[in-house]
Amino acid sequence: MYKKINHYLRAIWAENIKEWKIELTYKADFVRGMIDPLVYVLPYLLYGIALVGGRTSESLEKLTGTGDLITFVTLGYIFIGFLNMALWAMGFSLRKEQYWGTLESVFAAPVPRWVYALGMAAHSTMHQGLMISLQLIVISIVFKLSVNMGGIVPSLGVVGVMLIALYGLGMMIASLTLIFKQGWLISEALSSLIMIITPIAYPLAVLPVFMQKAAMALPTTYGILTVRHFLIGEKMGFSVGTSFLRLAILCVLWVVFGLIVFAFIDKRTRRSGTLAHY
Amino acid sequence: MNIVLDNVVKKFKRGKGLRKHYITACDHVSFTIEQGELFGLLGPNGAGKTTLVRCIATLLIPDEGKITIFGKDIIYQSMEARQQIGLLTSGERTLYWKLTGKDNLKFFAALYGLAGKERDKRIDYLMELLDLKDVESERVEKYSSGMKQKISLARALLHDPKILLLDEPTLGLDPQFSRFIRGFIKDELVGKGGKTVLLTTHYMDEADELCERIAFINKGKIVNIKSPAEYKDEIPHTEVLELRCQGNVNEEKLRTALSSIKSVEKVSLINKENDLALKVIASRVESILSDVIELVRGEAKILAIDVKEPTLEDVFIYLTGTSLKEDTREEQPDALE
Repeated sequence: MYKKINHYLRAIWAENIKEWKIELTYKADFVRGMIDPLVYVLPYLLYGIALVGGRTSESLEKLTGTGDLITFVTLGYIFIGFLNMALWAMGFSLRKEQYWGTLESVFAAPVPRWVYALGMAAHSTMHQGLMISLQLIVISIVFKLSVNMGGIVPSLGVVGVMLIALYGLGMMIASLTLIFKQGWLISEALSSLIMIITPIAYPLAVLPVFMQKAAMALPTTYGILTVRHFLIGEKMGFSVGTSFLRLAILCVLWVVFGLIVFAFIDKRTRRSGTLAHY
Repeated sequence: MNIVLDNVVKKFKRGKGLRKHYITACDHVSFTIEQGELFGLLGPNGAGKTTLVRCIATLLIPDEGKITIFGKDIIYQSMEARQQIGLLTSGERTLYWKLTGKDNLKFFAALYGLAGKERDKRIDYLMELLDLKDVESERVEKYSSGMKQKISLARALLHDPKILLLDEPTLGLDPQFSRFIRGFIKDELVGKGGKTVLLTTHYMDEADELCERIAFINKGKIVNIKSPAEYKDEIPHTEVLELRCQGNVNEEKLRTALSSIKSVEKVSLINKENDLALKVIASRVESILSDVIELVRGEAKILAIDVKEPTLEDVFIYLTGTSLKEDTREEQPDALE
């Protein structure tokens, strides 16, 4: 048993290292990937400042308990990165292997598919972590973000649980791309849908009631609200304990669903013979 | 017995809606491969060889029948089965081109449970054995086809498997690399290593040179399983007439006309852009020579005529009516949705 766990952990790490090595062969693309999130978030911030005439908004304070628009939006925006990680980086990792022609060689090895999926998740998380750190450092320096330092550790705990739920989503997308040639449409549609109903750059209260209800089924909603609660004191309609509990339930549901879809599609492609098809 | 296939059937869906139908890539295939045996699957492109290899390697699930590796069912005990198998698939794109040869091996070594000094020692040994030491730190994209095939072979051997599935291992390689790979399979893998090898090929000389037993496969069915010598003994004639011609011929008409000549047993005809390769198997070629020339001359310009001893390919033609050079491909499943 110990030997097997060791084997799987090494395989997960090897997958992560392999992805880094390949990624770093495209240096210009890597640098672009690091700068992109900064470029995307700046218009949100500048637009907000222009609209409210500064970085503090009375309306935002009434709705959320915090008026610091810049910190509010920046913290929310970080979660777009996590979502993109699941929908694009992790979601398209198998499709990428199909394109390279290596998927069959990998799947012929004596490791379960979920080990491979966790390897992709490890790389995606590290990659995203690096991008977010860079983003936070630059914005902190430029806009002087102000957060409750004591809230950082519990926030990391929330993000950790939310990430597990997003891995479930990533696994589902990764498997769907094996059978749908235009799998990017699924990612695109889900990305748009989740981004609209997740309170990234606005409070949950401004959404119509039915969208607020739909947002409650997303781990990203609890992630954003609870992290902002810890770091800038955003008011939530529920307690921290409730948020953790709901996030944990969603985490189990999304991971189980992701694994079921992954296993089902893996079996389907092995029956249909389309595993290696690009 | 190392590998047992029992009535394996694999079908692929083709078309959609009213046009939906199924192609049988493997049709009730049964055979066993003993320990230390070099077993060949010989058949033209599209005969079902790769489908069978993929089924054994657990990459495809058969629709019917059962496959076991050392008694382990490939569906229900796939992890145990995979641990015993080293797979070399055809084609160059089975490695990470942006990684070095050594990094490729390190990655796959981790998937097969190797680590630390044991891994490094094994990689060094294989690099030396396959004469890749000088290029181990170069990216695979810079390798020649032969070197890529060698590194793929090293990958298949990383975990020192008892069984090797080699799918068209010399396809597209130049004669020098082909010779190296063949020698390696025969001397190192089977001779010294005592490995059980399943080799698929459509090169009859490769099967003839390497295999102890050969299964002829055509249109998904196993036609016969024998040693190369037994096959050659079985053919009830001694001569094959080969003609190379040029011209736009009516293939069906010519085949029918040639087949109607007395004592002609089989006719194989491959026409590629008006370049015609014709094989006529008969008990006495001399007696039919003038008739054949007469018939062909009316249809095409004869460039060369030769009379040969029967080879394995002629036996294949005799048994199936199909040449190994023909492309009978219809086993591929539909593209993605």
